[in-house]
Amino acid sequence: MGAKSFGHYQQISQCFDELVQADGQIRPPAAAIARFIDRHGSAELIQRQEQLNQTISAMGVCFTLYSDGNNIDRCWPLDVMPRTIPSSEWQKTSAGLKQRLAALNLFIDDLYHDQRILKDGIVPADLVLDSRNYLAPCKGISPRYGVWANICGTDLVRDGSGKFLVLEDNLRVPSGVSYMLENRTVMKRVFPELFADSFIYPVDDYPHQLWRMLASLSPRPGDVPCIVLLTPGVYNSAYFEHSFLAQQMGVELAENTDLLVQDDIVYLKTLHGLQRVDVIYRRVDDIFIDPQAFRPDSVLGIPGLIKAWAKGNVSIANAPGSGVADDKVIYAYVPEIINYYLGEQPLIDNVPTYLCLDPKQREYVLANLDQLVVKPANESGGYGILIGPRSTKEEQQQMAEAIKANPRNFIAQPTLALSTAPTLCDGVLEPRHLDLRPFILQGRDLYCTTGGLSRVALKKGSLVVNSSQGGGSKDTWIINDEV
Amino acid sequence: MLLKSLDHIFWLGRYLERLDDTARLINATSHLLIDSHKDSQFSWPLLLDVLGQNGAELLSQLPPSDLTVEQQVMSFLITDADSEVSIRSACSALKQNARTVRQLIPRDMWEELNSLDLFLQEHCQQLQGRQHRYRLMTEVSRRCQMVVGVLDGTMLRSDAFDLFNIGRHVERADMTTRIMDVMVLQQLQPTDIKRPRFRWTSILNALGGIESYHYYLAHQNTEVDAVDYLLTYADFPRSIAYCLHRVAASAKALPHSAAILQRVWQLQDLLKTQNLSELTTGQLHQLIDQFQTGIIELHQVISTPKPEFSTDLSQQMSA
Repeated sequence: MGAKSFGHYQQISQCFDELVQADGQIRPPAAAIARFIDRHGSAELIQRQEQLNQTISAMGVCFTLYSDGNNIDRCWPLDVMPRTIPSSEWQKTSAGLKQRLAALNLFIDDLYHDQRILKDGIVPADLVLDSRNYLAPCKGISPRYGVWANICGTDLVRDGSGKFLVLEDNLRVPSGVSYMLENRTVMKRVFPELFADSFIYPVDDYPHQLWRMLASLSPRPGDVPCIVLLTPGVYNSAYFEHSFLAQQMGVELAENTDLLVQDDIVYLKTLHGLQRVDVIYRRVDDIFIDPQAFRPDSVLGIPGLIKAWAKGNVSIANAPGSGVADDKVIYAYVPEIINYYLGEQPLIDNVPTYLCLDPKQREYVLANLDQLVVKPANESGGYGILIGPRSTKEEQQQMAEAIKANPRNFIAQPTLALSTAPTLCDGVLEPRHLDLRPFILQGRDLYCTTGGLSRVALKKGSLVVNSSQGGGSKDTWIINDEV
Repeated sequence: MLLKSLDHIFWLGRYLERLDDTARLINATSHLLIDSHKDSQFSWPLLLDVLGQNGAELLSQLPPSDLTVEQQVMSFLITDADSEVSIRSACSALKQNARTVRQLIPRDMWEELNSLDLFLQEHCQQLQGRQHRYRLMTEVSRRCQMVVGVLDGTMLRSDAFDLFNIGRHVERADMTTRIMDVMVLQQLQPTDIKRPRFRWTSILNALGGIESYHYYLAHQNTEVDAVDYLLTYADFPRSIAYCLHRVAASAKALPHSAAILQRVWQLQDLLKTQNLSELTTGQLHQLIDQFQTGIIELHQVISTPKPEFSTDLSQQMSA
C-alpha cells in the first residue's frame, strides 16, 4: 500500500520506515513535510532539490575523493527529504550514547592503569594487550578527568522493529559533524517555511560545545586557552571539515610543521612568535602524532609531543591510545563493560555479534557466510566488509580463508533489515536504507548532538552509506513531541 | 595567526586584485581598440610584454587558426588555464589560497569566492565577441568588488585582515603601473617627446576614475595630466600614491612593520624625486620599470617577517 502524501511510495517489507508507519500512515513528526508535499506537489519537491544542490555548490560544501592518484572535490550529496525523529525517543537515545561513552572512557583509563577489567576476566587480556591499538607508551598517563576519548562518533542503525542499535563506536578521529551542520544550514535556506511550521531542535551549538569541551581540558585553567586543530593538511580527505571546524570555533588550524616542542612545552609558530599551546584537537592518527614515541621511522608528527602530553603540559583530544576501544572485537564486549563500570544495563543494545576468535562462534560464522555481514576488526569507511546475501561464492570462500588465517581480526553480524526513509531518486520518492552518526563529547561534561549525521545508501537495495562509496546524506530533524 | 598563513592571505589579496585588474586591463584594451583609428596599429605583443610575458615569442608559437590575433590574445588572457596571466588561472590560484586559509576568512566571503569561481567556470570557457567580453569583464570586476565588500563588512580586524589589504594594494599598484605601461609603450614613437598626448580616456574608464580625474584637473594650480593623476593623486583609490598609503597604514600592527614602511617610503620617494612633467615617454617607461622592481622587493619584505626568528626556529626544529 502506498503512503498517503508520498505518491506511490512503497515501503520495503520487514524494514522500519522513518517517516511512514507500517499501515501507510505518516508518522506524526513527518506531518509537516507531508503537508508540504500535499500542498505543493512533487514537482515542487524536485525543484527544491535543484535549489538545494545549487546552494551546496555555492556554499562550497564538498568532500574529497582519492582516485587514480588524484584528489577530486565532489559536491556533498544531500537528499531533499529530511529524516525525522521524535524528541522523546531522542532523549532516551542520547542518554544511552552518553552512558556508552562514559563507560568506554572508564574502560580505556582502566586499561592504561590497573587493568582491573582484565584481571577480573570480563574482557580477555590478550585481546587488549595484543591489539595494535593498545599503545604501551600511554600506560600510567592520566588525561584530565580520566577521559581519553573526548569526541566519539557512534553509528546507530535500527532493526526491523525500529529499535536503535549501536553498530560501531568511532573513537579515533570520527568525522562528519561538519556535514551535519552544513546540511542544516542548507535545509533552512531551502525550506524556510517548514522550519517556521514545526518545532525542530537546532543543531548549531555544536562548535561552541566542542570548544567548551576542549577548553575544559586546558592544563592552565583560568587562562584563555590556546586551542589548535591539528590537520594532516589541505590534501587530506577530511580537510573541508578541519577548516570548517577551526573557522567555526575560531581556533588555529595547524599542521605538524606549525608546532614545536621545547622543554616539554608545545608551541605554535605564529606571526608574532611562539605561543604556548594548551589543547590540541588532533585529526591525525595516533601513530603519526610523534615519531619519537610510536614510529621512529616516521618523519611525520611533532617530536616530543607525547612527552609533553605525558607530563600534563598539553591536552590531546582524543588522547593517544584511545583507539584501543575502537575495535570491532572490543565492541562485542561493550554491554559487559557498561555493566562492569557503571553497574547499569546498556540503554542501547549492540547488534548481535559473533566473535571469530571463539571456536564455536567461528564455526557458526563459517557455516553461515551467505547470511552474515563479516567485518574486519580494524577498518573504517566500509572497507573490507562482506555482505553475505549479496556476495558471490568466491568472495565467501576468500573470506572463509581470511577468517581461518586470522580469526582475531573478524567479527560477524546478522544482515540487518536497516531502516529506510523516503528519498528522492530520479524524481520519485523511494525507500533507501540509512544509518545515523551522532557525536558525543566528554570533557568535564558530557554532551550529545541533537540528532546527528544521517547517511543514506543511494543505490537501490544497497546497505553501504559511506560517501566514498556512493552514499548520500539527509538532514536529521529531532521534532518536539513533548508539548 | 600562524606564520605559515601570512603568504596565503597576502596572495589571496593579490590574486583577488589581479583578477579585478586583469579584467579592467582587458576592458581598457577593448576601449582603446574601439576608439582607435582603423589605420593605427595596436601592438599585441606589447600587451603581453607588459604582463611579464614574452609577447613576440608567444604569438609566433600560436598554432595556425582561423581566429584573429585579438581573439587569440584574449583567450590567453581570459580562458587559457595554462596561461599564468589568465583570468582563469588567477581564479584557481585565488581558490587554492582561500582553501588553505579558510579558517581565517568569514563564511560569507568564502561563499562569495565560491560563487565567483563557479561563475568563471561557467562563463569563461570560450572566446567571445567584444561586446560580450566587455560585459563579462565588467561582471568579473563587479564580483571581485562583492568579495571585498563582504570581507570589509564582516571580517575580524586582525593581522589576516591587514595582510589581505596589503596584498590587494601591492597588486593594485603593480597592475596600475602595468596598465599605464600599455598606454605608454603603445605610443612609443618617438620616445623623446615630452608629455605626448596619450588617449587616457579608455584607461581611466576601465579604472573607474574618469569623473575623479576631471575633479582632479579642476582643482590643480599647475598643468597636470593622467600620468600625475595615476601616480600621485592620493585621493583616487587606484592611484599609486593611494596604494602605497594603504600598504603603510595596514602594516602598522605587523611584527615587521618597520621593514615594510621603509620600503614603502623608498617607493614614495621615487615618485617625489622625479619631475614627472619633464619625463619623456622613454623615461616614463623606465620609471615604471623601476617602480615594478621596487614592488617585487616590497613583496619579499612582506613575506619574510623576522628572518632571525625563522632561522632560530629551524635550529630549534633540528635540535
